[in-house]
Amino acid sequence: MRPLDPRLAGRIGPARRYIVTTALMGLATAIVIGVQALVLARALAPVLAPEPLNADGLGPLGFLVPLEVRQLSVALAWLAVLVLIRVMLTWVQERLAHRAGAQVISELRENVVAHAAALGPRWVASGEGAAVATTVTRGLESLMPYFVRYLPQLLLSATVTPIMLVVVLGLDWISALIVIGTLPLVPIFMILIGLVTRERSAKHLDAMQRLAARTLDLIAGLPTLRALGRERGPATRVRELGDAQRRATMGSLRIAFMSGMALELLTTLAVALVAVTLGFRLVEGQVSIETALAVLILAPEVYLPLRMVGTHFHASADGLAAADAAFDVLERPLPAAGGTVAAPDLDGATLVVEDLAVGTPDGRRLAPGRLSFIARPGTVTALVGPNGDGKSTALAAVMGLLPADSGYVAALVPTDRSDTGRVDAADVDAEGWSTQFAWAPQRPDVTPETRTLSLGQRQRIALDRALASQRPVLVLDEPTAHLDRASREEVVAQIVAAARAGATVLVATHEHDVIDAADSVVDVVALEVAR
Amino acid sequence: MKNLRELLGESDLSRPRIVLAILTGSASLGSAVGLSAVAAWLIARAAGMPSPADLALAAVVVRFFGIGRGLFRYLERLVSHDAALRGVVALRARIYDRLAAARADTVLSLSRGDTLARIGADVDAVGDAVVRGVIPLGVAVVVSCIAVGINGWMDPLAGIILAIALLASALGAAGLTWRSARLAAEFSVMADARVSEAVVSNLESAPEHRVWGTEAAARTALADADAESVIAQERSARPAAFAAGLQTLCAGAALIGSLWVAVTGAAAGDYGPTTAAIIALLPLAAFEAVNAVPGAVTQLFRSNKAATRIVELAPRPRTDLPADARVQQSTTTPEVVLDGVSAAWPGMTPTRPLDVTLKPGESLAVVGRSGVGKTTLLATIAGALKPAAGGVRIGGIEASRDMLGTVVAMTAEDAHVFGTSLVENLRVARGDLTDEQALDALDLVGLTSWVQSLPDGIETLLGTGGNSVSGGERRRLLLARAVLGSQRIVLIDEPAEHLDTAGRQALEAVLAHLRADGRTVVIVTHHLEFSAHTDHVRTLDD
Repeated sequence: MRPLDPRLAGRIGPARRYIVTTALMGLATAIVIGVQALVLARALAPVLAPEPLNADGLGPLGFLVPLEVRQLSVALAWLAVLVLIRVMLTWVQERLAHRAGAQVISELRENVVAHAAALGPRWVASGEGAAVATTVTRGLESLMPYFVRYLPQLLLSATVTPIMLVVVLGLDWISALIVIGTLPLVPIFMILIGLVTRERSAKHLDAMQRLAARTLDLIAGLPTLRALGRERGPATRVRELGDAQRRATMGSLRIAFMSGMALELLTTLAVALVAVTLGFRLVEGQVSIETALAVLILAPEVYLPLRMVGTHFHASADGLAAADAAFDVLERPLPAAGGTVAAPDLDGATLVVEDLAVGTPDGRRLAPGRLSFIARPGTVTALVGPNGDGKSTALAAVMGLLPADSGYVAALVPTDRSDTGRVDAADVDAEGWSTQFAWAPQRPDVTPETRTLSLGQRQRIALDRALASQRPVLVLDEPTAHLDRASREEVVAQIVAAARAGATVLVATHEHDVIDAADSVVDVVALEVAR
Repeated sequence: MKNLRELLGESDLSRPRIVLAILTGSASLGSAVGLSAVAAWLIARAAGMPSPADLALAAVVVRFFGIGRGLFRYLERLVSHDAALRGVVALRARIYDRLAAARADTVLSLSRGDTLARIGADVDAVGDAVVRGVIPLGVAVVVSCIAVGINGWMDPLAGIILAIALLASALGAAGLTWRSARLAAEFSVMADARVSEAVVSNLESAPEHRVWGTEAAARTALADADAESVIAQERSARPAAFAAGLQTLCAGAALIGSLWVAVTGAAAGDYGPTTAAIIALLPLAAFEAVNAVPGAVTQLFRSNKAATRIVELAPRPRTDLPADARVQQSTTTPEVVLDGVSAAWPGMTPTRPLDVTLKPGESLAVVGRSGVGKTTLLATIAGALKPAAGGVRIGGIEASRDMLGTVVAMTAEDAHVFGTSLVENLRVARGDLTDEQALDALDLVGLTSWVQSLPDGIETLLGTGGNSVSGGERRRLLLARAVLGSQRIVLIDEPAEHLDTAGRQALEAVLAHLRADGRTVVIVTHHLEFSAHTDHVRTLDD
């Protein structure tokens, strides 16, 4: 997996800004660390040197830190300033990281939700769509550790490591050679170990997941076992499965930790080699004490970001997987919504539904299956039939909210010459068509604030909104489901009154009162798909 | 932390293993400290230009520490993960035992919501407390003591400075991190709820918003909730940022203090250059262990939350209350009397009262629309749930939790199909089931042709990772299970929709079979037509 998803930087503004500022802060951190090492070397050198120091022992980099730093008081002042700068950098970086993480998550969430909503009700109701809500809430949260922990270290390894290397090179090319020689070994060894152990660790991982799933399966089935009086037996099975899982996990960990060991081993051993080489060359007088100290202090800093990247690797995997899931939704192409023709005015128009069929998400049934009816202005048309046979889906298709798998929805629009023109809903501008319907859905939202109300109250509000809207077509989905007798009669009267005032009324219902009041009744029947 | 301690105590964690993990972890980070100290000595000694032989031992020791760090770290990770995994396995078994022994109403209510799905992750989080919490903290203490010991031995003042800085870094960071985690937990509950609400509104009601042109409003609501969540996260992140700054400050202060002690000490002639070098450079390596404190504290906070959820879900069995006593299974069917019984889970509207007497071998169909409480009524008849009003008597005794599983067997609508073989899924009802009996039962519910189509017949793996089972097949499989149980009273919860012809025939065959066996059946259903196959019919609809 790539360490940094280019789509994050490319499409999410806060992510891009964060990456740039973090890289700049990394640069500043690198400079502070480098100067701090030089100051320490300058300050300690007079103590360690057998005779008073005269020449600048830091070579070409000596100009960075004046010779006065060899006096303790000056060195301490320099260090104090450097430490304060580092504290500030750390604090700012940490604040920025949390803020950027939260902003990226919000922006990604809003984009994904908007896109998923545009993908249409059928996709939202499908398995993938149902997972979107989880992805954008709990799933995206794992981006936080990615932004706060992993990404800064990744950027530090791209800034601090090379800069430190340059500093070491400026001080002592032999030590730099050792570092340059070992640095590429880190990724090479990790890749090699990964390649060699891939098959074994995949096998272990597989076994591990299977065993974990089976243990959870037993726990999930506990109510079932209890209902059958058989809950005592599997306890030993849980223990056995757990032990098997532990063995499989340890098998995989023994391999997985090896690359971590290679990383630690190479980096620390390289530091040790640098120290030992410096020591012997110091004896020979080939290197100055100031340089030796500075290199000794800097050598571990070269490797530190790399090691931290390794430490926070799991944070990266989770975060990137979450981002991946989000971008998968974003990259799903939007369905072509309707046509380009301006939607006709549905006031006074007759709606014609012919052979309408929509497949269920599992593809086993057509609900509705081959539905045909005509809804005239000024009349009430009731759609009846068992639950799940497609009444609500038929209404959604009529409103142009989802495409039909076969059949069509059309409007017969009165024209000037006492004639009518037929307009197919699939050809017209979807928004212009949909917004002429006054819809009271079964589980209305109305506004997000009303979500705290009970379903019955929400339905009432949605119904009032529909009746008061003056839109030409009223679409009511089980408007009387949660009402008592008195309110039911009132609603039926309102529906009839709306029709008499010229509206085209479509009602999906089980209620006899509503069916009796309807001018025509249509049976909605689902069809099994022959397999 | 009480719940975490309780669960860790119950997970049979082996103390020697944990100590070993802390020791190897300390050896690993201690190697880094040692490397820094010996390398400082080596350079300081070399500066005096002795003969190279004087450096030989130090050179070897430096290399040893160079290797030791990686090696010990590898060992530490293996030991700590092994200890934690053993703990998790023990804990899982313990929780299973607890849940299995819990009261029937507790267990049956587990299938509501995602509680059980979460328990696996929560147990793992408790295990993480060991690997990412307890052990790093132990290592931080040991390594800090080593570093303070080295510097204190060289110069007591240097030891004191290092000790104060390490202590301030560890305790300050721990306190601030804990505060940050607590703030995050507090704020996020509200903010997350608002965000989820807005997300659901935007997604599920998207068509409604399109029709009414309220898409922009819905999106603004999400943006507002998001903005609020960003503010909440910022507030909780503030202490964490202070913790990070404090750790940098402490490490820097230790460095400045040590340099001052080293240089003035050497100038005063208290010690030689090698000692001064060690004192001055040791702080550079000494803080790595302490820097792990915030991560460890965060993990402990998280693990404690998980532990709290587990303890709430599966409380320690109370010794003052008798566990569900086992009623002896009988071979004769007792009479079942529903005496004005009405059922409800806490907070639900009670169902309409029912009166009916079922003589041994009789059957009852309870009809009602979805959501009216049919399943709840079954749980009440089973004795798992106390009636909201009225009573249930089985064989003349008030129905109690003890009867579920002994006298009464219940097949829930959402009964679990285990991720094991088909025949093992039937053995769930009867342990000593033979293959022939299994095939007979499957034949009764009309699954013979399905079994023949399966790759390994009744040995085919089902569920997670196995062959997928369609809704209709699953229903009939559960019916076969209901037939196979030995309990004399069988309660069947029929799903609301999509009962196809085969399912209908299977149900009729099962009713006939149970009647021939002289067993009493209560079935709740959507479909009135079954009333023709039962002795009694009652409706829950008004």
